Amino acid sequence: MKKTVAVLLMLLLLLGAGFFLGLSVGSMETSYRTIAQALFAYEVSDITHFSIIHLRLPRLLLAFLTGASLAFAGYLMQALVNNALADPYLLGTASGASLGASLSYFFFAEVTVLGLHLPPLFAFLGSLAVTLVVVLLGSKRGHLIPSQMLLVGIALSSLLVALVSLIMFLSESESQLKSVVFWSMGGFEKADWSNLGYPATALSLSLLIFFFLQKHLNVLLLGAERAETLGVDVRFIRWVMLLTVSVVTGFAVAFSGPVGFVGLMVPHMVRAVLGTANRFNLLATALAGGLFLVFCDLLSRLIYPPAGLPVGIVTSFFGVPFFVYLLRRKNYRFN
Amino acid sequence: MNNFKSQAWQGNLLVCVGLLLALISCEGKKPASSSAASSANHTVQDDLGRDVTLPVHPQRIIGLAPSMTEMLFAVADTATIVGRTQNDDYPDAALSKPVVNNYPMDYEGLLALKPEVVFAPEGIISTEVATQIQKLGIPVYFQKYDSVADILRGIRDLGKLLQREAQANALADSLRQRLDAFASEAQEMQKPKVLGIIWRDPIYVHGYNTIFSDKLRYAGGQNAVQEVFAQQSPALTREYILQLNPDVIIGGTFEEFDQNFFTLYPELKRINAYKNKRIYDVTDDLISRPSPRVVQSIAELKNVLR
Repeated sequence: MKKTVAVLLMLLLLLGAGFFLGLSVGSMETSYRTIAQALFAYEVSDITHFSIIHLRLPRLLLAFLTGASLAFAGYLMQALVNNALADPYLLGTASGASLGASLSYFFFAEVTVLGLHLPPLFAFLGSLAVTLVVVLLGSKRGHLIPSQMLLVGIALSSLLVALVSLIMFLSESESQLKSVVFWSMGGFEKADWSNLGYPATALSLSLLIFFFLQKHLNVLLLGAERAETLGVDVRFIRWVMLLTVSVVTGFAVAFSGPVGFVGLMVPHMVRAVLGTANRFNLLATALAGGLFLVFCDLLSRLIYPPAGLPVGIVTSFFGVPFFVYLLRRKNYRFN
Repeated sequence: MNNFKSQAWQGNLLVCVGLLLALISCEGKKPASSSAASSANHTVQDDLGRDVTLPVHPQRIIGLAPSMTEMLFAVADTATIVGRTQNDDYPDAALSKPVVNNYPMDYEGLLALKPEVVFAPEGIISTEVATQIQKLGIPVYFQKYDSVADILRGIRDLGKLLQREAQANALADSLRQRLDAFASEAQEMQKPKVLGIIWRDPIYVHGYNTIFSDKLRYAGGQNAVQEVFAQQSPALTREYILQLNPDVIIGGTFEEFDQNFFTLYPELKRINAYKNKRIYDVTDDLISRPSPRVVQSIAELKNVLR
């Protein structure tokens, strides 16, 4: 318990540091005093204040929410299919979203309609539609069959990736290609106060629900049959997990693109540190995922100013070596 | 003993190299007029520093990009132009030439047109594709333009390669006169900061080291982007653009930008270009094609900057 508290505190502390650094990095020189003034004595006409509050802060929050959502969804997904290789995109979320986003980039010259930005909308709808198909094909009479769902998800993803490639191939303009490529590598540049509400609400609600269901999750890791004998309503809990994963991942991907690796790696890292059955695992996973992306985004902007490298590149570059180290060091077992 | 051997060997090598060099230079210096036969070849260096061996009097040529076709129509004997790509639509005469796809490259279609040499601007055709074309026995000559002056140099170079020097130089000279006139008029202008937006999601723009910046100078403006990035058309953040605070945006009409760009990035409504409604659409083809029409492009820019 002591260790858990220490780890959670450290995560919060690092997160604070990450936000502070994140607020001070940008095209405009910003002193610590300016940040404090922007936060506590905001001056509308000051362009630096404006940048800190309306550009840097939402960007940080979006990075945090995306990382937290993906890591959280990854944790659930790994428990759902009881497989260490599972990530939030297993249900075709990422490829469905990619198809949606590509369609909007290629077939609608106007990227906004009635004030709605089309690519995230299409991406969200795409991810949900594909998840629905995977679930329909991966279940029998209301029972989810994880192994079948997994296979259907992978097969459908390949099909969708092929469709996206086809659209890209048929594209006339290099710019459209760039849009899709940029989108597919993930990024937080379009962060805006108005679109933070969706992922924030989805994530906090799900965290709350699963704070009470955490015990059932741990039992589920022992296998469906044993969980059933221990009194867990496996069918019900699987559906709740599925719904949560698709909505939380859908929002994350819609606004930030399919950032890779966070959803696979962070849950393992947390389990390696806190153990597989800790009741604060989900909270720690969300915090660690958010923290990881906040730092990756910061790094991307420092390496390649001003726009930053696509964050998906950075996550793999710095995450993979650390991940391998952690797996090798601990006698880590998934379940 | 060993030492001596190796010296002798080196000597032999030197002789060989010398002979080779002599051969190559003979080839290069062969007077163009001596053989009217179109089979005579010479080796020249293109703008990428590649050695290209092409006929001294090419009778069948093709440009593999819209800008290159414009260049060729301005300089070459148009009867020698054997085709165009799917995107080449200027001048009108180009439209009557057979089409060969350049993306993806239609190698068979190209072969069928039997060009003796292919001209391509750097960037549109990759060197990989060029290597493939050369394997088919067709030399590829690249031109590269970083400034307006490079376009004029490209015209003169084409004149030499196609034995149309008089034509090419006359054209380049007249373009030079127009440019000089632009330059002297530009001195009296306000030099507004202009941001040339290529794409809005992600936002990427015409960078500093580009023909675009050069054109703006002639047109009496300046590129709002004054920093050199790794990419010619860098992606920018909203914060960076806020800081630039451009006076003018090029890339679409005010209405288009108001509905799209500024709904997507409402934070940017603070910049001068939006406040003063100085957002203009210019002809895409003129902006993107490095061709003799560069003066028209400058005139168009000047029109909106005035």
